[in-house]
Amino acid sequence: MADKGRIKKELTELSRDTKSGVTVEVKSEDMHELEGTISGPEGTPYEGGTYVITISIPRGYPFEPPKMKFLTKIWHPNISSQTGAICLDILKDQWSPALTIKTALLSLQALLCSPEPEDPQDAQVATMYKQDPAKFRQTAKFWTETYAQKSDGESAAISRLVEMGFSRDRAVAALAQAGGDETEAVNKLLSS
Amino acid sequence: MSLKVTIKRWNAVARWTWGDHVDGDVCGICQMPFEGCPPGVKFPGDGAPVVWGKCAHAFHLQCISQWLTSKNSCPICRREWEFESSQGGPPVSFFLLFQPTTHSFR
Repeated sequence: MADKGRIKKELTELSRDTKSGVTVEVKSEDMHELEGTISGPEGTPYEGGTYVITISIPRGYPFEPPKMKFLTKIWHPNISSQTGAICLDILKDQWSPALTIKTALLSLQALLCSPEPEDPQDAQVATMYKQDPAKFRQTAKFWTETYAQKSDGESAAISRLVEMGFSRDRAVAALAQAGGDETEAVNKLLSS
Repeated sequence: MSLKVTIKRWNAVARWTWGDHVDGDVCGICQMPFEGCPPGVKFPGDGAPVVWGKCAHAFHLQCISQWLTSKNSCPICRREWEFESSQGGPPVSFFLLFQPTTHSFR
């Protein structure tokens, strides 16, 4: 049985903390299913985005790491663009019981600042990061605008495509395929 | 039959807490005060002794023992864990006897 007293303490401390930019919400009565959010760090393509992370506390906690996964889609070499699975050592073999849910979320924020393309979770993203940094930034920024921003802050590119008469779903798909390049997306839409 | 006891005088010899009012140092593993109880332990003090590593980090004996079954390192500084015997770490035989297998939750 996971140490419920410790989870409770961590949640109390997190609810008092308004400065660090991370929040946690309880999703199940036994406090084993949680949902965290982190904000995209300034100066990165993730700036302005809010990322939801599902947190599952294993029975062996805190002797085993919490299981974390991105629910919000993100374009990052160490996070699967398909499943949200995270490649981060402290969530695996480098976990220590002195770490907490909060420090793990802060580590994720740090991971957004400094990707590790040599230890990728998503090979396609990692390859782009290494071979075409400009395209990587553009795509990551587009994913932030498309998936990680509240609906009122919808990507200007999507709005323009919708104004041209394309459906929102098709516009989003085409832009995603084009890595955020608007002209390429228009060409795709027109040729399909 | 009832027994009536009158307390004339008392001497405090130790202090412990359930951990609701945390003001002092806490164990880095269970986050309960050092003078309190880690989960699954009924009595503080001798029931949950505090032990030090050679790296000078301290934990409840039960907490560090359970961690050492999976990894022999200090949870805080990641140095290889060695009990600091001069500061009251348990002798090896005691540690082997005491290694808890599961924690029940109170």
